Amino acid sequence: MNEPTTEPGGQPPFQEQLTAYLDGELDSTTSLEIERRLAAEPGVQQTLKQFQQTWDLLDQLPRAEIDARFTRSTVEMIAVAAEADASGERSPAAGRWRFMRQAAGLLAAAAAGFLMVRLLWPEPNGPLLRDLPVLENLEAYRQTPDLEFLKQLNKSGLFAEEPSNE
Amino acid sequence: MALSESSAQNYALSDPDVRLMLQVRDGSADAFEELMLRYQGRLVTVLEHLLGKREQAEDLAQETFLRVYRSRLNYRPDSKFSTWLFAIANNLALNARRSQSRRREVNLGPTESGALGPAPLDQIAQAASGQMPARQLDRAEMRDVVQLAISTLNDRQRLAVLLSKFEEMSYADIAETMEMSPQAIKSLLSRARENLRAVLEPYLQRGDRPAAIEP
Repeated sequence: MNEPTTEPGGQPPFQEQLTAYLDGELDSTTSLEIERRLAAEPGVQQTLKQFQQTWDLLDQLPRAEIDARFTRSTVEMIAVAAEADASGERSPAAGRWRFMRQAAGLLAAAAAGFLMVRLLWPEPNGPLLRDLPVLENLEAYRQTPDLEFLKQLNKSGLFAEEPSNE
Repeated sequence: MALSESSAQNYALSDPDVRLMLQVRDGSADAFEELMLRYQGRLVTVLEHLLGKREQAEDLAQETFLRVYRSRLNYRPDSKFSTWLFAIANNLALNARRSQSRRREVNLGPTESGALGPAPLDQIAQAASGQMPARQLDRAEMRDVVQLAISTLNDRQRLAVLLSKFEEMSYADIAETMEMSPQAIKSLLSRARENLRAVLEPYLQRGDRPAAIEP
């Protein structure tokens, strides 16, 4: 080894520069600096050569060959997904239907809630409404201590003709 | 976002695969098939070397294409198509790795290798040491040794090497694919190259077995 080998993370920056040089990732100034050192230092040349040779060995790694079965099954999988999309859940028409279904559901829920409240929670003004005819004639009732007398007047039709004392 | 729109236009102009993907976005099945045919072999190759199992690599490649298809309506050409595709594949591979690690905690049995996966160490050592008939540095042996060397890298180093070697990606593109900085990729690849050199150089220099697989 011509360059010091250190633990991962502690490598000398020059080694990074050297590999970046091989990868064509350096700017022209830094590349020139590397080339100057390569020309002057046989050790650096040797390191560069080793990096290049071992990198070239990776060409031996096999590439996957894809058979028709894989392509066909991928196409089928995508087709199933496309069909699911088309049949429905994402088309504009389906979106409108979904919105209308949701709106109808909300309305039904609101109506049910209103009825429940009406059934379970008695109307607080109920007694007042029930006694409204009495309240409207309260002054007349107060001026007449005899209830039987009032009933006779009612039968004679007096209140029907004059519902109010005003 | 004028900058991203102009860069999107640049990618659409300069990357033919981006143009295909834009056609996919507009509903072209032919464009999707063309993209699939262009990338399926490359994707499976990288995933198989990354994961060591052909079947799993094919499953993940299919899942990657499915995700591409499902993302088509929201696709924005703000990077090269290949970096986008391999970023999806990388995320899927990471998830698969995590699941594998969890399973390995309860099942410590031997892992099976696919067609591109590393050969058993004793087999490589036997081949390299001359115990096999007519010892020679044939391609099969060299391939096994190189696969072994690749398998000694950690996952991130291996992916960076594969993207650099097979996909000829720049540091910037690898960084985008792996969600790292270009400087981090520079360091990562430098360490990976040093590791590869340490394993392969003795084999290359003297023609005998790599130190990493001494019996």
